[in-house]
Amino acid sequence: MTLKVRDISRRPGELLDPISPEELVPLPPPYDKPEDQPGWKPINPGSSERLVCNLDGVVATSLPQPKDPEEQRRYVDQFAAGLKKLLDKNNNWTFLQPLLLSLEYCVRCQTCNDACPVFTASGGKEIYRPTYRAEVLRALVGKYAKPGGKLLARLAGNDIELNWTAISRLYELCYRCTLCRRCAQTCPIGVDNGLVTRELRKLFSQELGWAPKELHEKGTVLQLRSGSSTGMNPLVVKDNVEFIDEDIGEETGLAVHTPWDKEGAEVLLIHNAGEILSWPENPGAFAIILNAAGIDWTLASDEVGYDGVNYGLFYDDVQLARIALRHVQVAKKLKVKKIVMGECGHQHKAMVTVSDRILTGQMNIPRESCLVLLERIVFSGKIKFDPSKNDFPVTLHDPCNIVRNLGIVEPQRRILRYLCPQFREMEPHGVNNYCCGGGSGFAVMSGNNFTDWRVSVASRLKFKQILDAFADQPGPEVKKYVCAPCSNCKGQLRDLFQYYGALEKSGITYGGLVELIVNAMVDVKEPFIKWEMH
Amino acid sequence: MSAVIIIVAYFSLAVFVIVAVYRTLRVATLPVHLRWELAPVPHEKGRSHYGGSYLEEYEWWKKPRSRSLISELIYMLQEILLLRGVWEHHRRLWWFSLPFHTGIYLLIGAGALLLVAAGLDWAGAAAAGVMARAAVAVALVGHLLGALGALGLLVRRLTDPRLVAVRTAGTLFNLVFLLAVFTTGAAAVAMADRPARRLVECTQAVLTADFSAAIPGLLAVHLLLAFLLLAYLPFTPMLHFVAKYFTYHRVRWDDDPLVARPRLEGEVKELLEQPVSWSAPHVASGGGKRWIDIARELPEE
Ligand code: SF4
Ligand code: SF4
Repeated sequence: MTLKVRDISRRPGELLDPISPEELVPLPPPYDKPEDQPGWKPINPGSSERLVCNLDGVVATSLPQPKDPEEQRRYVDQFAAGLKKLLDKNNNWTFLQPLLLSLEYCVRCQTCNDACPVFTASGGKEIYRPTYRAEVLRALVGKYAKPGGKLLARLAGNDIELNWTAISRLYELCYRCTLCRRCAQTCPIGVDNGLVTRELRKLFSQELGWAPKELHEKGTVLQLRSGSSTGMNPLVVKDNVEFIDEDIGEETGLAVHTPWDKEGAEVLLIHNAGEILSWPENPGAFAIILNAAGIDWTLASDEVGYDGVNYGLFYDDVQLARIALRHVQVAKKLKVKKIVMGECGHQHKAMVTVSDRILTGQMNIPRESCLVLLERIVFSGKIKFDPSKNDFPVTLHDPCNIVRNLGIVEPQRRILRYLCPQFREMEPHGVNNYCCGGGSGFAVMSGNNFTDWRVSVASRLKFKQILDAFADQPGPEVKKYVCAPCSNCKGQLRDLFQYYGALEKSGITYGGLVELIVNAMVDVKEPFIKWEMH
Repeated sequence: MSAVIIIVAYFSLAVFVIVAVYRTLRVATLPVHLRWELAPVPHEKGRSHYGGSYLEEYEWWKKPRSRSLISELIYMLQEILLLRGVWEHHRRLWWFSLPFHTGIYLLIGAGALLLVAAGLDWAGAAAAGVMARAAVAVALVGHLLGALGALGLLVRRLTDPRLVAVRTAGTLFNLVFLLAVFTTGAAAVAMADRPARRLVECTQAVLTADFSAAIPGLLAVHLLLAFLLLAYLPFTPMLHFVAKYFTYHRVRWDDDPLVARPRLEGEVKELLEQPVSWSAPHVASGGGKRWIDIARELPEE
């Protein structure tokens, strides 16, 4: 029996559509035998009693079981109220027009289906179909937010029930889509199922207060309170960067210095603070390049100003706006000429385009991608390069938020074609790329068995295209580099490569773009790229 | 019979215009949304072929925007006339979707020709006959293509596992309805005695509300169905030809920065003043604080 939209509210207590690793589309050798792969962690019995698990057997959101039917009913009522607010001009002016267009004009042609890496990787699982979530929302809106909806729904045979089972499954289902918008690109009508998913996440967050803790409590809330989603306060971040400067200085033999809070600087660089903790070579490489090129730049030590992360982009307009406003306030205070985004995709999208229209008047400080600035520097002649130092196979991962969403496609490629003699593209690439699988916050979500799901399902097509790009030298003896100029993508690639043992079996590692640039600098004597998984 | 058809025609036309205009205005007057563009944006001169945008430019805010309206126009024409998106991403459907849509375009053209023919006929112009015969030919081809397309789409809905899984009574009903309109239309035109004359008379009867005019049986059935379809259409997603303007021009390709649109800034400032009533504790809306205040303040711990 094919799963229907209305089934989301039926058979409470059962999994709606269980998924297992055996169903997934095959990977190329040596990853083609499911029995050789690590498998998926079962949810531990304690958690499965405590948490809602009624969708596919995977738990990303860690929604606690409601205490009693009364609590269930309260949430259902809140959802119904949220549904109306989602369609209301005051509460949701930010995305009402694209949302209504997407809800009202889908012709159900399913042209978008094959574009979705999650749906395709899963072997066509019905609940992952890009239209499934949208159909559920459409049916709920039709029945519960429109006059005469209940009668019409019955007549149209679309009789979905708004109950606890439906909303708890729908909430979890919102976290099976990476918001990559590949589906939206292919829709002939221009319907955007990625946006619909985000709007649903927003309803849950802004009305019911439901959001994964990695994105909310440990994400935006922590960032607004302490300055960074990493928990680093201004003192700690300065300390850490000083340590990086020393470390990288020793390693490269160059004097590495990061300027802080320089008033009137040309460039305020904002990193994803995760780089400082997990990939210190990245901010270190930025410092080397910007100093070598004589750029007048600074980092900011005011709270939020040193962390470009803005998880609000993934689930909540209020948190998105709060963080974006703080970013520009910091820039305004320092009187910098422009803000440059570090290697972080969602930071690019949040700050360059999505927040643009709330930055009125003086708040609209110019914002630029680091990829554009780096291209300018690399081709300025101010730094001497020896591309033969990068003579190993390199491919480029296109972060959705920089490439598909912002149209920044070529600057990073021009750098790689110049500095990496063995650069090759993945297929498809550029604006048609596949998401790394860590988009929309997945890369930082790792509760229960969700990491297993996101590396095996959401990343599957990405992993396949990486392997295909290196198919001419598949063995581990040839070291290969996946350039991913985005912090979240790197986090996802790290988990993906570790899960499959890609470094050991295929010699594949990953890193940013600045690392490749520094590796090719004549003045840097020792190899900057370390062939290790970090 | 002609009285019924004429009344239905005017009623349907009125419903179509009122509902289509209402739905269009409703979307058009929605508040401006946050930017949500999606590459490729065809008006990006010299970059659209690979999906690039002006954001690739060093200090883009200091440079003049270079837009190509021609490539935007070419993209739109390819999309409207050749269904480029379906060709690229759903080829199996394209083979039927193209004749289906082409059939509809031809029928709109045939309708226009008939109006002209009816006018010329009243004026006693000799060209009326030529025009009417052209309308008949275009209508026949349009109906045949439409029928072929609708039938193919229906078969795909019933057999393609991807589509079977999500088919609804509504989607099947729409296709059957369309198929009925196209097949009766093709049959009425093909089987009519002196079809050009018949169609011109029929058009004149509808235009003058001449209840005494004789409309042959099959043509009457076809017209009745066609007009009912016209009234039904704007209530369905089949009105997507209107939506497409907005989804493309006002969402996917709406990439103007705020600094370049001073009028927009005024609108946004008003929106930032809107009261908000989201209930989650972290929003701290207080049941109606202004949007901008909520964004500026942090909730109490
Ligand atoms: S979202 Fe677009 S492509 Fe997908 S089914 Fe709807 S109309 Fe077709
Ligand atoms: S946004 Fe991406 S992951 Fe989500 S449904 Fe569309 S293609 Fe799939």
